[in-house]
Amino acid sequence: MSRTRLSEPAYGILLVLPMFVIVVGILFLPTAYTIGLSLSNFSFIKGAARSFVGLANYFAMFADEEFRSSLINSVFFTGVTVVLELLFGLVLAVILNRKFVMPGLLRATVLFPWALPTALNAIIWRWLFNPDFGLFNSILVTLGFSATKINWLGEIPLSMFSMMTVAIWKTSSFMALILLTGLQTIPADLYEAAEIDGAGFWYRLRRITLPLLTPSILLALLFRSMDAFRAFELPFALTQGGPAGSTQTLSLFGYRQFFQFLKFDTGSAVSVIQFILIMALGALYLRVFRTEAD
Amino acid sequence: MTDLTTSRTLKGTGWTVLKYLFVLFLVVLFFFPIAWIFLTSIKTTGDIYAWPPTYLPHHPTLKNYEAVLFGSKLGRYILNSIIVSSLSTISVLFFSSLAGYSIARIHFRGRGFLLIFFLAMSMFPQLSIVPSLFIWFRKLGLINNYLGIVIAYTGLFSPISLWILSTYFRTIPLEIEESAKLDGCGRLRTLWRIMLPLSIPGVIAASLIVFIQTWNEFFLALVLLSQNLLRTATVGIALYPGQYSFPWELITTATFLAIIPIFALSAIFQKQIIGGLTAGAVK
Repeated sequence: MSRTRLSEPAYGILLVLPMFVIVVGILFLPTAYTIGLSLSNFSFIKGAARSFVGLANYFAMFADEEFRSSLINSVFFTGVTVVLELLFGLVLAVILNRKFVMPGLLRATVLFPWALPTALNAIIWRWLFNPDFGLFNSILVTLGFSATKINWLGEIPLSMFSMMTVAIWKTSSFMALILLTGLQTIPADLYEAAEIDGAGFWYRLRRITLPLLTPSILLALLFRSMDAFRAFELPFALTQGGPAGSTQTLSLFGYRQFFQFLKFDTGSAVSVIQFILIMALGALYLRVFRTEAD
Repeated sequence: MTDLTTSRTLKGTGWTVLKYLFVLFLVVLFFFPIAWIFLTSIKTTGDIYAWPPTYLPHHPTLKNYEAVLFGSKLGRYILNSIIVSSLSTISVLFFSSLAGYSIARIHFRGRGFLLIFFLAMSMFPQLSIVPSLFIWFRKLGLINNYLGIVIAYTGLFSPISLWILSTYFRTIPLEIEESAKLDGCGRLRTLWRIMLPLSIPGVIAASLIVFIQTWNEFFLALVLLSQNLLRTATVGIALYPGQYSFPWELITTATFLAIIPIFALSAIFQKQIIGGLTAGAVK
C-alpha cells in the first residue's frame, strides 16, 4: 500500500523517526528544559511562584564552597584516574596483542571488570577497605606491614586515593580493549622492516606503536574522561562523598541539590555546568576524530 | 605475532612459564574482590567478624543465601532488574535496528548528520536530564512505573546499539539485499529476514551490551524507581548498608547473587561483546 508510494528518502526518514523522537524526548528536550530550570527560581517548596532569575543560580553555585570543592574533586579524580588507566591499559593491550597462552581466559578476565556494575563494585571494595575486618587491613596488619589498621575511606586525603584505586582497577581493562583494536590495525610488515633495520623493542614502541596508536589513545582518553567526569555511583556507594566532602563529585553534589534539598534551580545550574564541560571534551573528541579521518 | 624478535625469544620454556604466571597474576588481580565476597558470603557471622581474620571459612554455610533469598527483598530486586533490563533491551533493539538499517542502507539527506547527532546525544550526562525527567515523569505517572524507566533506557541506550548494528549492517554485501528486492521483498522484510539474521554477532553484541548496561545503570534507576518494592538489584543492594548497621554477610551474599548473571553472560559471550564494544572504535 503506502510502501509503494513512499520515496526512498521518505522511507529512510520514516524508519529513523521513532528512535529520533525517543532520543530527543529523553535526552535533548530534558537537557534543554534543565537549562531553563537553571535560569529560574523553580522549587517544589515554593510551588507555583516561578520567575526568570538570569544567572543568579550560577553565581550562587560558584559562591558555594561545597560546589567548588566538588568541581575540583571531579577534575582531580578525572585527571589522575584517566592518565593511570591509560598507562595500565597500554601495558595490558601490548601484552594482549601478542600470541598469548589461554586467550579465552585472558579475554574473560579483562572483560570482567567492565561488566561489573559500578555501584556493586563500590560495595565490594567498601568491604575490602573495611578498617576492622576488611581484606586489606587483615593482610597488612597480620603480616606486619602496618602496625595499625588503616582507615582507607575515612581519612583525608587517603579516601580520594582509595576511590581512585577502585576506578582504575575497574576501567583500565576497558581502556586496554579500545587500545587493542588500535594495535591490531598496525600492519605487521612495519615491525618486520624495523626488525631488519635492527630496531629494538623501545625504538619500535616509540617510533611505530605509539605514533600509529595516537588516534586510539586520544579516543580512549576523551571517552574515559567524559565518563569519569560524571562519576556518580562510585562515591555514592563507596563513601557517600565523605569524609567531609573529600570524595564528593560534581554529580553527587548535583544529585543532593535535587533530591536531598529539593533545590531544582541551583541543582540545574550544576547540571548545566557539568554538561558544558563534558560537551567541550566531546567537541574536542569529534574534532580529533575528524582530523584523523581526513 | 606481529613481533618477530619476541616470537623467537618467547619460544624458550622460561618465557612460557612467565606467560602463565602473568595470566595467573591478571586472574588474581581481577577476580580477588569477587572471590573475597564469595568467601565472606559462605562464612558464619562469627568468622566474618573475627580477629585475627579467618581467610577461609571454618564452617562453610549457606544460611546467608537462605536469609537473602527468602528473608529479604533481594529476590524481588533481581526480578525487577530482569524485567527492566529485558524489556529495555527488546525496546532498544527494535528502535535502533530500524534506524540502524535506514542509516546504513537507505540514501537520504542528513543521515550522516543523524549518526553524529545520536553519538553526541549518547554523551549527554544523566545529571542534566534527571531533573526534567523527574518533573515530567511525575506528572505523567511514570515514576515507580516499569514503562517510565524502559522509555528512559530506550532513549539512553539506543545510540550505542545503533552504532553497533549499523557497523554490522554495512558489512553485508549489497547484492544479497538486491536479490531479495528482486524477489519482491519489502524493506522491513529485508531487514527482518536478511539483515538481522546475517548480523547475528552484531545483534547478540548489541543485546548483551544493552542488557548489561541497563542491569548496571544506577542514576536513573535510583531516581525513577524510588519505591522499595520496585528497586532494581543494583540500587536495592547499594542502598542496603544503612547509616549504622552493616550486615556484611547479607550484603556480600546479595552482591554476589546480583553479579552472577552479568558475569555468566560476559564470560559466555566474551568474543561477541568485545567485538561490539570495539565496533565503534575501529572505524
